Amino acid sequence: MYRQARYEEPLIKELSIKGAVGVDIPEVDVDIPEEWLREELPLPEVTEPQVVRHFTKLSQMNYGIDIGTYPLGSCTMKYNLKISELVSKFPEFAYIHPYQDESTVQGALRIMYELQNMLAEITGMDAVSLQPAAGAHAEFVGMLIARAYFEDRGEDRTEVIVPDSAHGTNPASAAMAGYKVVEIPSREDGTVDLKALESAISERTAAMMLTNPNTLGIFEDNILEIAEMLHDQGALLYYDGANLNGIMGYTRPGDMGFDMVHINIHKTFSAPHGGGGPGAGAIGVKGFLKEYLPVPIVSREGERYYLDYEIPKSIGKVKMFYGNFLVLLKAYVYIKMAGNDLKKVTEQAVLNANYLKSKVEKFIEVPGKPLKKHEFVASAKRLHKERGIRAMDISKRILDYGIHAPTMYFPLIVEEALMVEPTESESKMDLDRYAEVLQRIISEDPEIVRSAPHNTRVRRINEAKANRELKLTWNDI
Amino acid sequence: MPVDHLLPSLFSREEMLKELGLSSIEDLFSDIPEKVRKEFNIGNGKSEYEVFRELRALARMNKCALDMPVFLGGGLKIHYVPSAVIEIISRSEFYTSYTPYQPEISQGMLQALFEYQSLIADLTGMEVVNASMYDSATALGEAARMAYSINRRKKIVIPKHINWEKKSVLENYIKGLNMEIVEVPYDPEKGILDEECLKDAVDEDTAAVYVEYPNFFGIINENVRTASDIAKEKKALLIIGVDPIALGVLKPPSDFDADIVVGEGGILGNPPGFGGPLLGIFATKRKYVMKMPGRLIGMGEDAEGKRAFLMVLQAREQHIRRYKATSNICTNEALCAVASAVYLSLLGKHGLRRLAKLNIYKAKKLMRLIDSLEGFKAPYFQGYHFNEFTVLSEIDPHVIHEGLLSRGVHGGLILAEEFPELYSVTLYATTEVHSDEDYEKLISALREVYESVQAGKI
Amino acid sequence: MAEYEIRDDRLYTKTHEWALKESENRVRVGITDYAVKKLGDIIYVELPEVGTEVTAGSDVATIDSVKASESIYAPVSGKIIETNEDVVNDTTKIMESPYDDGWLFVIELSNPEELNSLLSPEDYRKLIEEEEA
Repeated sequence: MYRQARYEEPLIKELSIKGAVGVDIPEVDVDIPEEWLREELPLPEVTEPQVVRHFTKLSQMNYGIDIGTYPLGSCTMKYNLKISELVSKFPEFAYIHPYQDESTVQGALRIMYELQNMLAEITGMDAVSLQPAAGAHAEFVGMLIARAYFEDRGEDRTEVIVPDSAHGTNPASAAMAGYKVVEIPSREDGTVDLKALESAISERTAAMMLTNPNTLGIFEDNILEIAEMLHDQGALLYYDGANLNGIMGYTRPGDMGFDMVHINIHKTFSAPHGGGGPGAGAIGVKGFLKEYLPVPIVSREGERYYLDYEIPKSIGKVKMFYGNFLVLLKAYVYIKMAGNDLKKVTEQAVLNANYLKSKVEKFIEVPGKPLKKHEFVASAKRLHKERGIRAMDISKRILDYGIHAPTMYFPLIVEEALMVEPTESESKMDLDRYAEVLQRIISEDPEIVRSAPHNTRVRRINEAKANRELKLTWNDI
Repeated sequence: MPVDHLLPSLFSREEMLKELGLSSIEDLFSDIPEKVRKEFNIGNGKSEYEVFRELRALARMNKCALDMPVFLGGGLKIHYVPSAVIEIISRSEFYTSYTPYQPEISQGMLQALFEYQSLIADLTGMEVVNASMYDSATALGEAARMAYSINRRKKIVIPKHINWEKKSVLENYIKGLNMEIVEVPYDPEKGILDEECLKDAVDEDTAAVYVEYPNFFGIINENVRTASDIAKEKKALLIIGVDPIALGVLKPPSDFDADIVVGEGGILGNPPGFGGPLLGIFATKRKYVMKMPGRLIGMGEDAEGKRAFLMVLQAREQHIRRYKATSNICTNEALCAVASAVYLSLLGKHGLRRLAKLNIYKAKKLMRLIDSLEGFKAPYFQGYHFNEFTVLSEIDPHVIHEGLLSRGVHGGLILAEEFPELYSVTLYATTEVHSDEDYEKLISALREVYESVQAGKI
Repeated sequence: MAEYEIRDDRLYTKTHEWALKESENRVRVGITDYAVKKLGDIIYVELPEVGTEVTAGSDVATIDSVKASESIYAPVSGKIIETNEDVVNDTTKIMESPYDDGWLFVIELSNPEELNSLLSPEDYRKLIEEEEA
């Protein structure tokens, strides 16, 4: 039985001891004008052992991949390589300044150059920028590239098509770039409704944003037709790379007709999620869009690697410097280690998902086509009617068994959705256990499920109250 | 077998396929049409040891700030990261976790982020702080968009003297709203905002005025008070860009009535990392919280009345608001924010003040040393400086740069390309990481280079 | 069905707004009891600005609850001439009194014919029954 640590850990400020400090820094005298001198600095006063103990205890009240199954659909919570962690702490990578003379950072530049190429090869693209700090950021870049491309051609395109099953960042990114979002309904099995797409495409369409496999874990086998429909209208097709783990070695977005691709470095390529970040979101494009990429990309001349600003119609910059280098470094290590065996990684991810699906669909509905790729979506709709337990309740009760909940209520087109992506990092035993636990929860006393979780640090939180009576810093307490 | 050791169910493949009634793994990919089938070739995988050796070789091709003194700043400074910070963010319960959408099992991360928000609130004097943006530039971009959503005005007034990358990022962030940037030049003598020009630049169509202190030239005494007055007069918002370490000793932006505060939080407990990951500080007034982008951690109660932390006001975000979201941001810089929380806890009330003063002290020392050299004037712009300052040189800064490099020293940031009117001015930054020996090295290298040029040797 | 209140004195939309004709060219708009119950705890509402021109079916306002955000669509075309600032400051009014104090805005009609396309209370009742099935 899972029992999470339950410290009643105070806020760090509450541990203050007057005069205490946690770092040894010499006291010096400086002359600062009155009108700029700060009077009060109300930060905590604690020593190093206190700080370390405090945050160590906090970490024990947190759940990560290294503790157990983390089957969050759409997030690809795969095992994070420890060699990547070690390498990212080398001072030769950690303590280099982005404005250093290129001759002093050839190692970093070479890593970025090779990573650009490897990602281009894996996705079937012609050029890659490593600048975006996250997937959503890369989506935004893709939309800005579309804008620049059509402006260049003198075409007034104002709309971006997005299926209703899409991740929220897709319409949000398109809207941020100034596009009007046209949402099209999906078919019952979750795939793109070609008729709906047809009516939505017009001369105002700049692009369509799509992921394949889709957010139900189903492969859109009409993809070439979809690409043709958009290209016939002179529009672009953008690939949301969140689901790349489901196809590596079997197909590439570039071969499916996509013009732009973003890659979630912290999903497919094993860089850790860090509790919400940092990630990295490389963007790849086909040759004809290369001239719009953000500057700089890394190029090579002979044995010399350099930051290439010669991108004539570049959209400029979307972030300071060149990208989340220390995160990209981790992907570099992973890809170097796996090589072409990334195909095996995908095979296991897909096998795990289908195996788990076959076990759970005996007691919970899994709509859509039976063959999934790396994830599947179950629906608790019927369970809600029959036993009065919802997706939320099941998710909270799973926590009690030491397993992280699946993604809830996404995609929006499935009622009481539970999106499960085991990843290739789970063993058969883990999967069997997961199915067992799910089955047990469904047959448990619904009251226990509805009042879950019971074994975690805190019980179910009163979200409504917390949203009404906002306490956003310790000054609000 | 490069990945086998990472694939637990690989060793049960046959069994699992049998249970699924399939004969080979290929059967699971029958839904991928022939026409799109394509393998890629990036070469064979390698063992961990091989990769380790390769990465060591690549590391040796870099010269880091611990091998040679680097005097670069320009938006990112090199500060020392205490080992306790590294220790904490290396705990896998933190770094292998996901966004805390299931708060009950993620109280550790949530409390750490709540503490980060609180520490930044105390540092900046602001009421609300989000759980991070990508960096200071994207934070500025998002701040401009937020200003528009509050007052529906289209102009954003910024100093001409900001990092050019920041300006480019801002341009891209406001493109979708058809907003425009209005630049205010700096006083060529003082290196701070020209008051008259600032007055002319702000009008009834100004959504916000952006000002930084210390400014791009390292000057503390920027015209922030004036910018604040002018902005308020025209009912424009005031966005202030800060250096969080400088705030250890400088007045907080709340004293200038900032509406939004942005800054580079990466320097709080994260190494420069060749430019990333960084951390965009974003803070605002409580009344604007519904317009604020980014994740927000709040404090509440659980079913037993126990104190609990959770993500609040999620309805603002992309996963709920979709195309109407305050921002598209999803993955942020959470772990970097935790590093900042640990850093600020370690330094605290006394340490941060001492560190800020030490930075000022060292910069002043270096300024004097450089100024005493023939052929150099430091600072070029007079005024109070934090840890960065301008240096005017008689000889071409590019020549100096090469000369320094060949002597194992990395000089400051040459401004010639982006600020042609400041061709002979270089931006030097120095922090607690530099020793007196580092300064000696720089000074003798500068002296040598200057003398070589004078003697016609270069 | 008794759980959801439906007033007989007004018309409805498929997107769960109610439209109450107050005079020849004034229509008051709000959201229905069904919509309120589905949203849960409402914490924020964004109303259009007075003077905004709207077309029937367009997205003019937003209501956020803890876990959801719903768009509010104009039932008819015209101009926004009044908005309910009270509910902006106190969103509980919408939850407690969606048909009275919780009104959202008033539209000055530009095309009275559009009222004929709205749902009668009976049609709206049927719609909810279908959605609940």
